[in-house]
Amino acid sequence: MDIFSDLVMGLSVAITPINLVYLLAGAMVGMVVGVIPGFGPSAGLAILLPVTFGMDPVGAIMMLAAIYYGAMYGGTITSILLNTPGESATVASTFDGFPLAKKGRAGPALVMQAVASFVGGTVGVILITILAPLFSQVSRSFGPPEYFLLAAMGMLTLIVMIGTNWKLGVVSALIGFALGTVGVDLETGQGRYTFGSAELIGGIYFIPIAIGLFGLGELFYAFYSGLHKTGSGGIIQIDKKARFWPDAQDFISTRWTMARHSVLGFVVGVIPGAGATIASLMAYSTERSLSKTPEKFGQGEMAGLVAPETANNAASSGAMIPLLTLGIPGSASTAVLLAAFMLWGLRPGPLFMEQNPELAWGLIASMYLGNMVLLAISVFAIPLFVQLIKVPYRILGPAVVVICTLGTFSVNASFVETYLMFAAGIVGFFMRLYGFSPAALVLALVLGPLAEEALRQTLTISRGSFGIFLERPASLWIIGVTVVLVLILPLLGRIGSKAGRAEKAGG
Amino acid sequence: MTELQDNWASRLRAGAIGVAVAAPLALGGAAFAQGYPSTEETLDWTIAFGPGGGNDIMARTIVDILNTYDLYPGDISVENRAGGSGAVGWGYLFGQAGSGYGISTTSGSFVTTPLQADTPWEPADFTPVALLATDDLVLVVNGSSDIQDIGQFIEYAQANPITIAGTGTVNVDFIVPTLFAQAAGFEFEYVSFNSMADQTTALLSDSVDAMVGNPGEILGLIDSGDLRPLVYSGSSTPDALGDVPTMGDVGHDIGVSMPRGLILPPDAPAEAQEWWIATMQEVVQTPEWAEYISSNTLTPTVLYGEEFRTFLTRTQNGFAEVLRSVGAID
Repeated sequence: MDIFSDLVMGLSVAITPINLVYLLAGAMVGMVVGVIPGFGPSAGLAILLPVTFGMDPVGAIMMLAAIYYGAMYGGTITSILLNTPGESATVASTFDGFPLAKKGRAGPALVMQAVASFVGGTVGVILITILAPLFSQVSRSFGPPEYFLLAAMGMLTLIVMIGTNWKLGVVSALIGFALGTVGVDLETGQGRYTFGSAELIGGIYFIPIAIGLFGLGELFYAFYSGLHKTGSGGIIQIDKKARFWPDAQDFISTRWTMARHSVLGFVVGVIPGAGATIASLMAYSTERSLSKTPEKFGQGEMAGLVAPETANNAASSGAMIPLLTLGIPGSASTAVLLAAFMLWGLRPGPLFMEQNPELAWGLIASMYLGNMVLLAISVFAIPLFVQLIKVPYRILGPAVVVICTLGTFSVNASFVETYLMFAAGIVGFFMRLYGFSPAALVLALVLGPLAEEALRQTLTISRGSFGIFLERPASLWIIGVTVVLVLILPLLGRIGSKAGRAEKAGG
Repeated sequence: MTELQDNWASRLRAGAIGVAVAAPLALGGAAFAQGYPSTEETLDWTIAFGPGGGNDIMARTIVDILNTYDLYPGDISVENRAGGSGAVGWGYLFGQAGSGYGISTTSGSFVTTPLQADTPWEPADFTPVALLATDDLVLVVNGSSDIQDIGQFIEYAQANPITIAGTGTVNVDFIVPTLFAQAAGFEFEYVSFNSMADQTTALLSDSVDAMVGNPGEILGLIDSGDLRPLVYSGSSTPDALGDVPTMGDVGHDIGVSMPRGLILPPDAPAEAQEWWIATMQEVVQTPEWAEYISSNTLTPTVLYGEEFRTFLTRTQNGFAEVLRSVGAID
């Protein structure tokens, strides 16, 4: 068995005391950059990159990779406790994570997200180990038509988000799409709504908007409802009777959720450019459409948290495939890893794993260890994070404002983005007050530009013909899967639950 | 919303101008009394992009060489000031007008950002030290394509509608194939992508016919035969690309490249400019610099002082002309 001898060789490279120290350090740094809102893995990686110059490449790459997937563990903590996504891939985790915390289940939610992250991450590494060559074929069959279809699939999540009050939901999404048009038009190069500002050339980045809408918006709403006047406790209360650890039911009810989104997340992660954010959103909407109780989503359903969490970690493993097998970075974070490879004089590409087996397999082996380390750190750190909830709101509130501001500013050191974050906070408060959907706005802002660019590229390539979507095998596959997910599965589910009810009534 | 943004933009501009006026007053005079460079002053080295990018790697390579060979007597403080496609970092350097202790490296955005946004500065405003290298592009097709060389490519492009991918529009990626197509007499649709990764995936998935890109980023795919290089836009082909001809070799020279150079703030003292020109003449002789040029597959093109300023102005005018003709800028 070739794979196993490779993996054993990788482990022997990875398990040296100094490399394990680097791995541990990377995992901890990853957790921390994940926890700070806005400060995602790519920023953490970029800042620590110069530190690794003098190090041995294997240790350095193990450490950098651990920062990368470690951030996926940390990012959810603030999503659950403060409704503020630590980074983009954990936006979907706020949808049910925060409601769970509000219901007094913050402890179980945090533990379950760590478990889900571990399962997703580990399944992802197993899939890399055995299927890397196969999946490198997947990543080279995706062009603009497929990206457009993927973005369109992601938009199905919008329908879920919009929920009952569809008019307000649609308005929220349209605001998001409108904000998404700001920046240089990729095709013509003309500035759109940039008002000559160099800071707006690149468009409105959705991180400051998400931090403002979710984090600050929620905070302002809490002050509006007078929470700061109460002695202790915040938006979320710890129910003294509820247990800190998840119960057996939490595991049983989500076991298939973890299984399917490990695979789904991985596959989406393999596609360059789609990455963990889209994977987590798709996982959320798929899980909801498969669920027998879709109405509970958004109200604090454990499966609604576990699905995106499993998927974003599996996707971050999947994104290593195009990096290792083609030298193509699938995300901002893997682009920094690629820069690191090049700094060490390595030449990423299809021959990379063949020419540098020690490095490639050492890295893969270290990801198994890293995920275990991260699970342990998360579980031990959770009681600490839960203490946050006990901090009186009049103290926690201002601290959240500081964290949100620092987090936003640290991404690009941009004042414009910091102002945007505050503006989004005020808008978010009113949206919350009048029942608009901030989540729909953020989703539209993420997916709008992606879909627009991919569609225009597609139509330039096909010279205006939509037939191109039916000519490419990969496109047809995505269309097929979408139809199954959106039409057939919910239909089957409905028939199944009707049959179940009929049986019960009959029996 | 729009009014608000406008307000911020003008406030930012006002801030930048304020700094520009104040800085010379604060820094003038005494600093240069004991000759340049004074060991008392810390050299403020601005990198206008984040860590890990091309500009960052070049700046840190030069600083490493300066330290290794003890070329700079004082302390050097290197800081990444990213934002607004370089506008933030170079705006900061612009604000140090008159000083000889601010310095920065340039890259493509140094020419293109002022074309797209109301930056208070133009490339020619800065005190030029040296152009050290140029970034040039290679035109590649999918390795499974029937097209084997540039002659076949031009023939095919003259007979069939083709698409060429590149990164961005206000960019050398768009200018180079546009000028080359004009020279070689074919037409194409340009498909603009956000990153090298996106366009490479598009080419590998057979969505586009060809693409232009920085050879350094795709050498792995070229070595493995997944991509086939056809022609190189620089004045001489890097070793890593083997016997690929240049655009000049096939008779369609376009003379456009992205400048990688070194600049001082506007109106820096002449003695600072002279000191840096002399020092950079030593830097480009070091083996470390040769290693940097070859591992990043840059074309070593060296111009000093005013010649560099002329190069910048000419490049920017050339860009502006092409971009205006297609309506990308006003």
